[in-house]
Amino acid sequence: MVGDLAQSEPAGPEPLPPVLSPRSKGTGPRPSLGAIVRRAVPFVPAFVPLAIVVAIIVTLIIETGLTHLPGLLGSNFNPTPSTGAPSWGIMVFVVGSFLTAVPALLLSMVVGLGIAIASVTYLPRFVSRILDPFVDLLAGIPSVVYGIWGYLFVSTYFGNTLNPFLYDKLSWIPGFGGQTPPGSGLGIPISVFILTLMALPITTLLIRDALRTVPRDLWESGLALGATRWEVLRRVSIPYGRAGILSAAFLGFGRAFGETVAVAMVINIEPVYPHNVFQGTGTIASLMFALLDSAYGNYQFLAALCYMALALLAITLVVNVVGRWSISRLSATEIAGL
Amino acid sequence: MNASATTMSDGPVLSIEGLTVRAKDRLLLDGISLDFPPHSLTAVVGPSGCGKTTFVRALNRMVELTPGLRVEGQVHYLGQNIYDPSVNPVLVRRRIGMVFQRPTVFPTSIFENAAFGLRIVHAEDEEVDRAVTEALQQAGLWDEVKDDLDRPALALSGGQQQRLCIARALAVRPRVILLDEPTSALDPAATQRVEATMLGLKERYVLILVTHNVGQAARVSDRIAVLQTGKLIEVGPTEDVLERPREKFTEQFITGRFE
Repeated sequence: MVGDLAQSEPAGPEPLPPVLSPRSKGTGPRPSLGAIVRRAVPFVPAFVPLAIVVAIIVTLIIETGLTHLPGLLGSNFNPTPSTGAPSWGIMVFVVGSFLTAVPALLLSMVVGLGIAIASVTYLPRFVSRILDPFVDLLAGIPSVVYGIWGYLFVSTYFGNTLNPFLYDKLSWIPGFGGQTPPGSGLGIPISVFILTLMALPITTLLIRDALRTVPRDLWESGLALGATRWEVLRRVSIPYGRAGILSAAFLGFGRAFGETVAVAMVINIEPVYPHNVFQGTGTIASLMFALLDSAYGNYQFLAALCYMALALLAITLVVNVVGRWSISRLSATEIAGL
Repeated sequence: MNASATTMSDGPVLSIEGLTVRAKDRLLLDGISLDFPPHSLTAVVGPSGCGKTTFVRALNRMVELTPGLRVEGQVHYLGQNIYDPSVNPVLVRRRIGMVFQRPTVFPTSIFENAAFGLRIVHAEDEEVDRAVTEALQQAGLWDEVKDDLDRPALALSGGQQQRLCIARALAVRPRVILLDEPTSALDPAATQRVEATMLGLKERYVLILVTHNVGQAARVSDRIAVLQTGKLIEVGPTEDVLERPREKFTEQFITGRFE
């Protein structure tokens, strides 16, 4: 054995491998299939996300069967009418999704900015070290927990106190007057509240990171000019971290826009435009979730759900692309000054 | 005869008495006393870690931003102790400006960088225009940027950025400018421009320049203060200190046996 080993030892230095890679034409034998596969393996993971997106889109399109659904882009969603043909309008839910996600995003940006500013700028280091992890903890709470908490507990407060109060004070604003808020407390306001909580960890974490990237000497330069911490924050840190703050907004929106279970539990689903902001309506995601059962066995109904899924995907994708584009523009402007 | 006016113009602008800065377990500055007369450029030199930066940061209360440091002693600015409990550090920093090691321009236009300190006191637009122009001229940057004031400051070269930082400090019309190794991140040509700017400024301001570069101190300063492990061991006119150092340590430092 030992002898064998000794024999296989090369006698002198091995010749250097050819400089040109085996792929180059005209040098050496063609690489084997195995070699090609081995060479390709490291690249494969990079294509996984693309493959997933394509797979989802393609299967959804196939599942719609490209069925013609009358009135798909309309506002009347009535798949099982007592008389006449069903109609499949999904616009109510598109509107409902924006109606809940946009206010939730704005609120979570404001609150997230407040938390991030306090943590990065004002709190003593040891206090923020204790408080910061709770933001991560918030991110880890499953959405169904937010949903059940909202449905069983928070809704009472909205029904008894907050909604009547808002109705009383704001009914002069269009959209706030009219029908009295339902006593259950379910509807748009509590959905916005729950979505705000769910978007909050994302917005807070990203804004906090953005503010943390401000170099210490830049921060001190502001103070050295006689600015207060608030002024440096407003005039230096926030402009400096604006790309990160913007990405917080887009990711927070994605979270709020696509949330399903929690919204389905508290929005008081109705496939109609709400009479005022206190009523129930539907969001794309929550409605799909709620209707899955009734759609079973009805191919048109299932096709409608697939169209909704595609709509949700398309809107999210557009928001993502716009987000990436504007963030990259911001960063480029900052550096090159275009 | 107006005695007080005479005192104001001739007396020291900054007067330091027994300035001591302590960290938890050690002394960063040890009982430094020194006066800074008007229209002077004092170079503070010494090896790394001798407390130069702590020293200038103690002169505009920036040192208080570092948790765990305690300051003792007094720093009188025109007769008033800036460490008096009644004094607002924000107002101190409007009188005693500072330029950092690295150019620290803000992510905004050249004009708004120079105007920063004026915006926070809500100066009138006309006043801002005038002060910014004047500051950029004094900093020796005006001719290079006068047509591009709206361009982002980050598009400037490193040396231009540092002169913009000087202009930014000048625009609020301080009496004292602290320069903490302002050329340490610059190439020789840019360093030369910044040094020329400093020479021009000493006619009007009290400049306190921290540098580890003895050559730079020789080129621009009137006076050299030598620090060794937090103690002021020698101070005197630049020529005297460089040619006839009293202390052995000073001699070793200026001949390059310490860095």
